[in-house]
Amino acid sequence: MPDKKITVRATRFDPDKDEKPHVQSYEIPFPDDSMVVLDALNYIKAHVDGSLSYRWSCRMGICGSCGMMVDGVPKLTCNAFLRDYWPRPVTVEPLNNFPIVRDLVIDMDDFMHKLKSVKPWIIRKQEMPLGAGEHRQTNEQIDEFRQFSQCINCMLCYAACPVYGLDDKFLGPAATALARRYNLDSRDQGLKQRLPMVADPDGVWECSFVGECSVVCPKGVDPAKAIQQTKLDTTMRFVLPYGNRE
Amino acid sequence: MSAATEGATRVYRRPMPSGWWTRRAHYFWYIVREFTALPMAVWLLWFLVEIQRAQNGPKGYYPHSSTGFVIFSVIVLLFALYHSVTFLSLAGVILHFRVLDRPIPSRLIVLSQFGLWLVASAVVAFVLVYFGR
Repeated sequence: MPDKKITVRATRFDPDKDEKPHVQSYEIPFPDDSMVVLDALNYIKAHVDGSLSYRWSCRMGICGSCGMMVDGVPKLTCNAFLRDYWPRPVTVEPLNNFPIVRDLVIDMDDFMHKLKSVKPWIIRKQEMPLGAGEHRQTNEQIDEFRQFSQCINCMLCYAACPVYGLDDKFLGPAATALARRYNLDSRDQGLKQRLPMVADPDGVWECSFVGECSVVCPKGVDPAKAIQQTKLDTTMRFVLPYGNRE
Repeated sequence: MSAATEGATRVYRRPMPSGWWTRRAHYFWYIVREFTALPMAVWLLWFLVEIQRAQNGPKGYYPHSSTGFVIFSVIVLLFALYHSVTFLSLAGVILHFRVLDRPIPSRLIVLSQFGLWLVASAVVAFVLVYFGR
């Protein structure tokens, strides 16, 4: 099929001109089955409409920048193949549950604030001098937290979470998964510093286990699991006499 | 939807539509799972009323046997089964145990939950049948 084409319906919003977002359709060539939605956006920007705004960087599912709603589902656009939508038009919108800055660009300040609040780094009560050697771990100790460390902060889980959509005070899936990743790390001693955030009513207890966060995660992280296990752990800490351990 | 000004950058906030749970099948079945608790609560309240009615013993107590009540009870039973199956299936996600320093597979945890459910149901059925004779 020499002149195969596909229609891309993209959300447009210019904060200086528009009262609210609207949809603009672009019909573009679709010559190659390996084309992804991000390729289509790049074609539009390069050849049709240079004013279209969106985020992207690595184009290989690692940086987490190009997350958007593709036909209503949060996806990395570098990993959403046009062949899965053709010959129907494909609709591209900014990630749900976030304010729109411009076109397909969302305001991620809330997420960045929440991410920082759970201190997603290794905390030591007393740093060991470099000369003392490595913090060695067994494979079993790494397996405890490995899957939660795969998060690329793409925010698809927040766009899929109706609880966050209804109440943006909720700490949310990715931040909780990363808090758990460090709480499970045998080198970390920062559990008590993270508990005020994760065990707060706006932390894990706000989650009603919809589970869609784990479904849409492009890296196979299971944030719903992190949240439910954190609920159980914080309850055990409260109930059991020896529970309030480090 | 509403426009908002935040500092120097004007952003546009999209409110959550009331029909958000119809967007995807996963959301719909989540709402069904949560909703099943309501008719179960109504049935249990009815059950408490029946217990109160039976406080004087079997004499003078006639349990509800109207067609409407039977249909309602069957529907509530289906809801209870759906709620129980979804709840126990999620146990493998929530519970995490280690035996001999090895994690127990989540599938085994789920199977054990269903096993305990069957045992508990059998015990309750035995008590009801044995002492109800």
